[in-house]
Amino acid sequence: MNSKIVFYFFASLISIYSSAQEWKADVSYKYMYSSQLDKSIQTYNFSRPLLTEKQPLLMNGINTSISYIFKNERNLKHGLNVNYAYFRSSAENENFNNTFNLHFLNLGYILHYENAEKWKGLYSDLIISATSSVILRKINGEPFVYDETRSKAFGIGGDVQLKFGTYINLKNKSYISPFISLSYTPYLFSPNNEAVINQTKGLITNNWSSIVSGQIGLAFHIRQQEND
Amino acid sequence: MTVVERRHFIKQSTLLSIGGILIPSLFLSSCRKETLFEDANYEGKVIIIGAGAAGLYAGFILKSMGIDFEILEASGTIGGRMGKLTGFADYTIDAGAQWLHGQNSILGDLVKAKSVKTTVDDAGISYWFNNQIVDTLPQDAFIFEGENLPDISFKEYAHQKGLGSEYDYIVEGIAGDQGASASLLSAYWNSKEEENWVSGDEDFKFEKSYFDVIEEHIAQPILSNIKLNSPVQSINYSADKITIVDINNNTFVADKVIVAVPISILKLNEITFTPILPAEKTEAFSKFGMGAGMKVFLKFTTKFYKDELFGGAICAAYADDTIGKITTDNVLLAFVMGDQASNLHSLGNDAAITNALLQELDTIYNGQASAAYISSTVFDYTDKPYIKGAYSYSTIGMGNARQIAAATIDKKLYFAGEAMNTNGHHQTVHGAVESGYKAVIDILNDVKK
Repeated sequence: MNSKIVFYFFASLISIYSSAQEWKADVSYKYMYSSQLDKSIQTYNFSRPLLTEKQPLLMNGINTSISYIFKNERNLKHGLNVNYAYFRSSAENENFNNTFNLHFLNLGYILHYENAEKWKGLYSDLIISATSSVILRKINGEPFVYDETRSKAFGIGGDVQLKFGTYINLKNKSYISPFISLSYTPYLFSPNNEAVINQTKGLITNNWSSIVSGQIGLAFHIRQQEND
Repeated sequence: MTVVERRHFIKQSTLLSIGGILIPSLFLSSCRKETLFEDANYEGKVIIIGAGAAGLYAGFILKSMGIDFEILEASGTIGGRMGKLTGFADYTIDAGAQWLHGQNSILGDLVKAKSVKTTVDDAGISYWFNNQIVDTLPQDAFIFEGENLPDISFKEYAHQKGLGSEYDYIVEGIAGDQGASASLLSAYWNSKEEENWVSGDEDFKFEKSYFDVIEEHIAQPILSNIKLNSPVQSINYSADKITIVDINNNTFVADKVIVAVPISILKLNEITFTPILPAEKTEAFSKFGMGAGMKVFLKFTTKFYKDELFGGAICAAYADDTIGKITTDNVLLAFVMGDQASNLHSLGNDAAITNALLQELDTIYNGQASAAYISSTVFDYTDKPYIKGAYSYSTIGMGNARQIAAATIDKKLYFAGEAMNTNGHHQTVHGAVESGYKAVIDILNDVKK
């Protein structure tokens, strides 16, 4: 029984691998802007003058993603993408080290375009994703728990991302590509963000956020040659 | 591309990427401010009427912003519905607000940042039910949370849900927590307004006193800006400058006024506004409930009573006041709200009030109360001329009265206080604090160039 499972698992892997035009993993710096998140942290800082060290805005983060592009003969290919991003805001005051950790996880569909004849080595990706987020709070390094529940705020929404990069061949099928990208989350339903950050709800923001972000980073690719 | 060229290219790309990260990051970061109104330079004067938690916190924020302000307090002490009693027992008694309701609040942060000692008040509730003390009820009486409750009173809703008249005083105790009589508190609006409650359900008591914490960390830095014994009689906001006159005929001039008095004072028109406030506003004030409220501390030689007991006909909620305190004394708090507080108030003097409570306690505890009684002290908030009640509650048909009442008038008058908290934290000190800083945010938004 176990050997059958192992067989099918590896058979599936081989099948997936052989039907891939490209595998890609990337790491990037991500800059984020959300007026609603800003407002929550700005209000938090404004309303707590007793804390001399201000809480930084959630804006600088890291991002990593894995993409899988299906094989086809056309310039426009499609595939799947999983993306994770992390932002942190931490302020250390006497007796009170407060941290907000914001995590995003996206599952997306990629339209990958490259035209070797016109723009050799260049590519662009349009990624449409479902996005989920969670903000967690830590105080003095410990998860902030009240009523025996961890302080957290979930969010769910949609995201669209446009990415441009250029391939540099390393060896055989291995490539790297520096890339830039812009993404927009028009609606992230996140009714408790303010409750975790400013500890109020409905005082200063809506129950949703919109987010604009930019990325710059490097991707590592394994690409099948067209004639493979 | 040769290997050397490739390496060179990769190196250049990496450097470019790092530069590409740092430069926009630094540039864009500098455009975004960490706090609201970082560059605000408001030179007008703000007068705050009322030195309760909301007024004090508004002053605390204004001080941090370097804005000129003065607080006019009607009584001879700060704190409003907060206060302390020393000398009655071997610990400081919170004569007014005494519980920090939940940890997830601005005051929860203050407690942690200042290492203030608190204890969870997790006393189990017992009930005086069908003339006996029980630890559990045949039917759950805590049925007033949730969506789509009808806009009828707690009492009526309890009956509708099958809780018979034997539950009436238990329901009275539950409503009393909201500062109201069960016959006047709306099941719908109370639950609706609490939808935004996020501070948590655990109640905390302070080892020192709640009043001491607020005084030390919020009031102390602004004491020189507070004028006591200055009950405001009139506010004229018809001109650019607002003129305020107190009962001693002192005149004060301000650009902005934060009215942070209890809703009872506004309901009773004890401050004259010129021009008169919009009808919508006064109608909103009239929809608020603010019942009678009384705290009676009874000191005994022994602890014969339960930590918390609901269901008395004279007082629906008794609680051991020493929980969370370092003490060897036995002090029982009679927490009397609404009609029960009005009934005790009508007895006319503290001795009569104490006797009524002792009689009830003797009935419940087989005469042990009178036998162990040492002394008592009564804080009747209905009697206090600048408070006149406990705290605001949501009446039947309340609607959006709280939002209308809290709205700014002519970019001149701003309203704060627990009753003006529109984000579910009304009736609490942290809710009052939130309304205080919100009033300052509203002012600075209005003067933003």
